[in-house]
Amino acid sequence: MVQRRTVLGLMGGLAIAGVSGVSFAAGDATGKKGGTITVAIIGEPPTLDPMLSTADVVSTVTQHFFDTLYTFDSHWNVVPLLASDMPKISDDGKTYVIPLRQGIKFHDGSTMTADDVVACLQRWTKLATRGKGVAAKIDSITATDDHTVTIAMNTPYSPMMSLLAFSNSACMITPKSNLGDQLTAIIGTGPYKLADHKPDQYIQVVRFDDYQSRTEPSDGSFGQRNQYLDEIRFVPVPDTNTRVEGVISGQFAFADSLSNEAYDRLAKSDVSMPVLLNSFGWPVFAMNTKKGLMSKLEIRQAVEAALAPEDMLTAAFGDKKFFTVDGPMYPEGWAWRNDAGVELYNQANPEKAAGLLKQGNYDGSPLRILTSHQYEFHYQMAVVAQAYLQQAGFKVELDVVDWATLTQRRANPDLWDIYISHSPFLPEPALNSTYDANSPVGWNDPDKNKVLDQFTTVSDQKQRQALFAQLQKMVFEQVPFYKVGDFNALLGQSKKLSGVPQTPWPFFWNAQVSA
Amino acid sequence: MARYIANRVLGMIVVMFLVLTATFIIVRLAPGDPAGLMLGPDATPADVIELRHAMGLDQPIPVQFVSFLAQAVRGDLGQSIFFNQPVLQVITARAEPTVLLTLFSIVIAVGIALPVGILSAYWRGSWFDQGALSTAMLLASIPSFWLGLMFQQHLTGGGVLPVSGFGDPGSSFFEHMRYLILPSLVLGLVNSALIIRFSRASMLDVLSDDYIRTARSKGMSEWRVVLKHAFKNALIPIITVVGLTFALLISGAVVTERVFNLPGVGSLVVGAVLRRDYPLIQGTLVVIAGLYILINFAIDMLYLLVDPRVRY
Repeated sequence: MVQRRTVLGLMGGLAIAGVSGVSFAAGDATGKKGGTITVAIIGEPPTLDPMLSTADVVSTVTQHFFDTLYTFDSHWNVVPLLASDMPKISDDGKTYVIPLRQGIKFHDGSTMTADDVVACLQRWTKLATRGKGVAAKIDSITATDDHTVTIAMNTPYSPMMSLLAFSNSACMITPKSNLGDQLTAIIGTGPYKLADHKPDQYIQVVRFDDYQSRTEPSDGSFGQRNQYLDEIRFVPVPDTNTRVEGVISGQFAFADSLSNEAYDRLAKSDVSMPVLLNSFGWPVFAMNTKKGLMSKLEIRQAVEAALAPEDMLTAAFGDKKFFTVDGPMYPEGWAWRNDAGVELYNQANPEKAAGLLKQGNYDGSPLRILTSHQYEFHYQMAVVAQAYLQQAGFKVELDVVDWATLTQRRANPDLWDIYISHSPFLPEPALNSTYDANSPVGWNDPDKNKVLDQFTTVSDQKQRQALFAQLQKMVFEQVPFYKVGDFNALLGQSKKLSGVPQTPWPFFWNAQVSA
Repeated sequence: MARYIANRVLGMIVVMFLVLTATFIIVRLAPGDPAGLMLGPDATPADVIELRHAMGLDQPIPVQFVSFLAQAVRGDLGQSIFFNQPVLQVITARAEPTVLLTLFSIVIAVGIALPVGILSAYWRGSWFDQGALSTAMLLASIPSFWLGLMFQQHLTGGGVLPVSGFGDPGSSFFEHMRYLILPSLVLGLVNSALIIRFSRASMLDVLSDDYIRTARSKGMSEWRVVLKHAFKNALIPIITVVGLTFALLISGAVVTERVFNLPGVGSLVVGAVLRRDYPLIQGTLVVIAGLYILINFAIDMLYLLVDPRVRY
């Protein structure tokens, strides 16, 4: 017996409605068409195939020409995009019957069928990092008819819908004939189509005239996509200062990821303005639970006891408008927020840390913190952490490398004890790989695994929230990683540009430019 | 002469082999992993291992080296990991901004430096000479990135001069030129400093020679003496420094291209290193080294034209 369930009570990715900071504004359906904007992004995307990368810059660009079956509304609820409705899910939670919208055109003029969707889902489970993570739970993906796809799973998996909705390592839909290990061409169903791509110079997308927008009012990525702009040019600008100068001079209508020092200049500009993306993400000290010093629980707890997040965040971000000293894994306003275990956050207690080091028979081996100047705030936090850890009795070595070296070294547990990274707040906690035993952190505690299994299996939202609280408590108790706090991202935007949502993956299909 | 050229060509081949070997070793010694960067921050270690295998990066280093040499000898510098295109094609696509930037910068540098250097030497010790030397010192000391940022902040208001890039899609040649004005000015000014000092010193040497006194005693006009007799004989050191500056710029004005976000060879090298795109790093360095060698060779050949006393 297959029954229909509403999204809200269903699968992960849920945040409480109507909360600032995490929601993004709806578009205005009354605008006029026309205009071209230049958007400065942080660098050339490593690929234009969103299945093949989890890099945010890939999501930001490719969501304009590739659509997924589902997406998120302004409150991070999963909602249909290329699917005509939410799936019918069997009572045992193992079978998803997904109805597809009919008459959807690809950019090459062909029409989307269930065969295309099946081929894309299959490729996603073979090639995409997030798809491969769920592949073992999927028995079959079949076209029930021309406009229906059925996914049969061998176990219920509650983050499934969030995975299908996420634009990162995305299960985007492209013609079956376009598929291979590499895409033959960039052909999607999105509101804009790729017109030209000169690597390191620009990615030019233009309005897709045959786009069939959903008719519901715009709400986040859901609903009407108004295609006001004629053309969007994504320009890779790796240097932060150049992005700042470009948006201040008016050359760029929008610039991603700016340094906090630029805030005052943007605020004084006649042409552009600063945009603060509140609670954008969280810096994290990831611990090596597999090998070496940090494999001992007491030593990890000593690190947790020693660290002073307020000082670390101040060193990293400066003014308080750019960060919040906050322990829970999700900021205010999210359904996942809870206070379980947070009493262990922000201890800054060197005496307690010293006691824990004694309990853990710390032998004076150096604690190797792997960090990089690629993100200057990582390094600045590392320097402050080093001082606090030394005060507690640790011998600390900072291993400062470039980002490429860091991503390589963290895969080898012999080479590091802590590495520093950061992440945006993801709509579904299970999308964060750090909880997974296969991540570089290697958190493989049997009790945690049991809770995580339950968390990804049950579908009742209240139950899931309670399980996530347990998971968060375990993070504070077992310290597989240390969330330093929340930070805000600074973006720059032309005063003539409106309708851009506040999201870590900004999109421009509802954006407009005024004269 | 023929023997000299043959020896130089042989030397170039040896140098190129050493460059190929050195770039391969240096690139492999650097830690970092292109697969991890391609897959993004949430990739699992298993995914990274799989992609490394697909890229052939898990093969023994000697096997990779022999394969690299065999390809290079055939003129194939491999496939860029990041761009998924042949390395030569990627470099060629970046050549236009760099070549144009180099030409403009050299024209600006030489256009400023030669008159200033000549006049400084002619009016040695004057206020003009003191001012020129001080300015040259200042220009040589200013980091090009700082000058670039200052130009971006103060000369881009009103939208006439763009802050960065190389033009919009479908830009005309003249539109591209507009994007090159500020970076060319930066490089032209910074590089003019050395040429000013060299041309002044060289002219001073020549102006005290006997044949200049003879030319003056014959009643020749002062400007004819300076420009026809002195300047021509002062050219050899000037050609050397201009040639080397040209070689330096054509190999990618890394910092300036980065500051002005010009998609040239310099920013290509930086990007390739950050992305650990091994074939692209190797290929670009080999091409740059080849250009250096050729430009040096061309400078030596130019000596023959300028100074009849030079014989090889």
